Amino acid sequence: MNNTAHTTSSAPTSLWKMRLRLMRKSLKTGWDIFKENPVGMVGLVIIVFFALLAILHPILMATVWDPGTYDPITGYDFKTLIHPSPPSWLPQPDNPMYKPSFRHILGTDPLGRDVLSQLMYSTRSEFLLGVGAALVTVLIATTVGAVSAYYGGLIDILFMRMADVMMMLPFIAILIVLSSLFQFKMIHLAIVYGILAGFGGTTIVIKSQALTIKVKSYIEAARIAGGGDGHIIFTHLVPNLLPLSFLYMMFTVTGAIFSEAVLSFFGLLDIRMSWGLMIQTAQAAGYLLNSWKYWYLMFPAGLSITLLCAAFYLVGRAMDEVVNPRLRKR
Amino acid sequence: MGKYILQRLGQILVTLFVFQTLLFVILTAMPGDVTNRMLTNPDIPPEVRERTRQALGLDDPVLVQYGRWFQNFITGNLGVSYSEYPTPVIEILEERIPRTMVLFLAATIVQFVVGFSMGRALAWQRGGFFEYGSTIVGVTLYTVFTPWFALMMIFIFGARLHWLPLGKFLTPILWRKVDIPGMSDSLTKANYVFTRMLWTATAAFVIWLIMAYFTRNLSHTKRNRTRLIATVIILAVSIGGWAMVDIGPLAWDITKHMILPIVTLTLVGFAGTMLMTRQTMLETLREDYIQTARAKGLPEKLVRDKHAARNALLPVFTGLIISLPSVISGGIITETVFSWPGMGLTLLNATTQEDIPLVMGTLSFIGVLSLLAHLVADITYAFLDPRIRYS
Amino acid sequence: MSKETPILAVENLVMHYTTRKGDVSAIDGVTFSLEKGHSLGLVGESGCGKTSIAFSLMRLLPDNAKIKQGSIFIDGEDIITMSYDQLLKFRWRKIAMVFQAAMNALNPVYTVGDQIVEALDLHDMIKNKAEAEERVAELFELVGLDPALMHRYPHEFSGGMRQRAVIAMALSCEPDIIIADEPTTALDVIVQDRILREMKKIQQKLGMSMIYISHDIAVIAEVSDHIGVMYAGRMAELASGVDIFERPLHPYTYALMRAFPSIKGEKHDLTTLPGEPPDLLYPPTGCRFHPRCPFATDICKEKQPPFENVGGEHYVACWHPMEVHNDHH
Repeated sequence: MNNTAHTTSSAPTSLWKMRLRLMRKSLKTGWDIFKENPVGMVGLVIIVFFALLAILHPILMATVWDPGTYDPITGYDFKTLIHPSPPSWLPQPDNPMYKPSFRHILGTDPLGRDVLSQLMYSTRSEFLLGVGAALVTVLIATTVGAVSAYYGGLIDILFMRMADVMMMLPFIAILIVLSSLFQFKMIHLAIVYGILAGFGGTTIVIKSQALTIKVKSYIEAARIAGGGDGHIIFTHLVPNLLPLSFLYMMFTVTGAIFSEAVLSFFGLLDIRMSWGLMIQTAQAAGYLLNSWKYWYLMFPAGLSITLLCAAFYLVGRAMDEVVNPRLRKR
Repeated sequence: MGKYILQRLGQILVTLFVFQTLLFVILTAMPGDVTNRMLTNPDIPPEVRERTRQALGLDDPVLVQYGRWFQNFITGNLGVSYSEYPTPVIEILEERIPRTMVLFLAATIVQFVVGFSMGRALAWQRGGFFEYGSTIVGVTLYTVFTPWFALMMIFIFGARLHWLPLGKFLTPILWRKVDIPGMSDSLTKANYVFTRMLWTATAAFVIWLIMAYFTRNLSHTKRNRTRLIATVIILAVSIGGWAMVDIGPLAWDITKHMILPIVTLTLVGFAGTMLMTRQTMLETLREDYIQTARAKGLPEKLVRDKHAARNALLPVFTGLIISLPSVISGGIITETVFSWPGMGLTLLNATTQEDIPLVMGTLSFIGVLSLLAHLVADITYAFLDPRIRYS
Repeated sequence: MSKETPILAVENLVMHYTTRKGDVSAIDGVTFSLEKGHSLGLVGESGCGKTSIAFSLMRLLPDNAKIKQGSIFIDGEDIITMSYDQLLKFRWRKIAMVFQAAMNALNPVYTVGDQIVEALDLHDMIKNKAEAEERVAELFELVGLDPALMHRYPHEFSGGMRQRAVIAMALSCEPDIIIADEPTTALDVIVQDRILREMKKIQQKLGMSMIYISHDIAVIAEVSDHIGVMYAGRMAELASGVDIFERPLHPYTYALMRAFPSIKGEKHDLTTLPGEPPDLLYPPTGCRFHPRCPFATDICKEKQPPFENVGGEHYVACWHPMEVHNDHH
């Protein structure tokens, strides 16, 4: 499809214009196929829902939520202190937490902080983490995949062996050690996870795709026209790998969010608030194995992690059907 | 096939080398070294710290340290644990590795068998409730936040229903009641009982393999029936044998502690296999040899179970090999939540206590375990695929 | 031609594929029959419905295919109304098939011998293992394979060997009819030719009926007594091989013959037909060939020509059969 665009390229501006137009067109056909996949749409709806939560949090904090009470990390509802004989919706002397009520829709955690506010606040960092890790992965995997497919030989062998190593090792074990010994923050985790995933399985998939593109006629044409290696890799090979890279971004997001949750559940990350940490706080205070009464400590964070991971995974699977026509149902 | 196995073995040794190098890099990149903690103690003069550094060889050039690192790894000299001073790391690992292995093997095998059978059955149901239901359940289990799910399992089956223990390896009160000659503490007893359990399981498995070998030439339905009966007999004999000895209740105690972690790991893992089996079955059913089988007059059930499923097994098994590291990751998480004293819990505890030798030792052996699992899986795959077996 | 009841009789078969865009009329009113011991060749461009007919004859059609009308009698029984259990006994025993992609027609995880034994066992052709091996060895010899190869896996066979193995498998239950769907396309020309000749010999020796399907009329001509030319889901012309070659009546048959060099070496101009086969989602009205036919008139666009016997077992569906035009020129 991009054939004509590449071979007839002499003026770079028209080439880019044409490529943009083609991209828009293929995006539209891609979206048309994606739209028909209910599973993918469910995933997309969930992602949009969480994105809204993330955007809404700062707005709520600036308007209706008093920062002193609702701050996800330092907030505390002092109403509990001034009440001598609290009504049923207020914390009782034997149970210092708020039950879900209009004031605190999902109650408060054992430290008196609003659960909903924590949940919404964490959503943003989960998104940033996921997308950050995915970008690192795509950057590495696409470059490495394109380069080793294009040059082959020793470079290829080296990168592929490295990918084998990455694929055979349990990430969590390595991340546990790294995050604890080096006191990781969110950003470090995003980069390290991105690197581990980027040099791993994703590279292999992208490389095999790059191999099929490498033999296409427009690459040959570009080479005959005198295009340098770098030029061919970055203007002809990489743009054609992007749809697949984008697909693998989705799976990286799932992996990154999951890893973050596990690590902060173990208390190994140097962060102040996240879904994993919320579960850890509740568990450490002994509220999780107690009774169904504390469902608002048990479910929101755990379900959010599961839902968001599942959503990105589902979108990835639906995109897989767009990118690989072989999987499409007739 | 010999060439194939040699090639895989070589690849795995290379991987092990790279992994060990990676660990060494982590170790050297860490800020400061083990003598740093001496800084916080004012009673230790700086000269002592210097001497310790020299004694430990920390002043040697990096390459020398790198060589020593490998030498120590190969000779099994992993140093002494700080947190359980002065127990050598290797001794701690010797005790913990079998426990992790049992959890890992049981969960892997159960999840593969369950996932494959369910995926195969689901390939019959196209569209409608079953397809969507299975996809939703499958994806939920596949992406569920494992620690949280494990907690939920403990909460439901342990705390609420009281069917199974909440976690850990054994119930101490029970173990104090039963005497095993020459052993005083429960931990020694536990290792004694557990080792014997492992031998029983290994023996049962070997007998099963021999049985499977001798029944390989029977016709499809006959073979399945014979193998089912033989499996039941082997299980009955080994369980019956344990029920009759004194330490039987102790073994049952360990088993009870094992059930929930294994079920959790299985539930988290089988969904991936199930979804993949279903997908592969549907693709395989479009192959030409499936048409041939149908044309020969084979009933649909045999077409799917004998022809499609046997071929779908190959990519699904490859999927299992690829997902082995994530099963191990899941195992680490599960062990920790259930306080199951295996490699995962050891790794986490050692990490939080900054017991560096134990961290490195455990991480090394988690890597070794992962690679070994890969090798075994690769060899099994070679046996499953005649295109590799006869080439 | 003998007048006994034919082993196969297809009457006014209509079959549609249901797709998301609508119904594809893949077979539209095809009628033909096949006598015992005779062979029939079906020829046409890809997508003309010849493979769909083959799969209909075995009732192996995909889920989205629906037989709307017509009947298929094999040995006097209509397989379309037959129960599934009965059908299972019918397949391979009465009608077997050599598949188009013989390369992939064998299951890679079972030995070739086992796959043949499976069919024998299913149709109670053998009692024990020794008998099974004996029978497989016999079949292997018949198709020119070394019996020692029966314990090998398909990947150890070359393309030609696999093709022979698939033929041996088709012969295993001594079926009345064998359908050979492009049996040799994937092979090189020399192997192709040899295998076709051997198939013909085996067919005559065992007295079976044979249906050859190919896009290559030259291949068909060599092995078939009768030839049916198909176009866009309909039978355009059906006659003895000699009649088709010497006296083609349908303009499409004529074009096909000109498109393929004759096996006898006569040189023709390779006149290719203008245009493409029609999209069967929206088949043309009247005669489906009219958009590409140089002789089309108004009636061709409006009315479907009847499939008529023009004498001497020569059937054609055309408003303006070729001889008329030939007279004019």
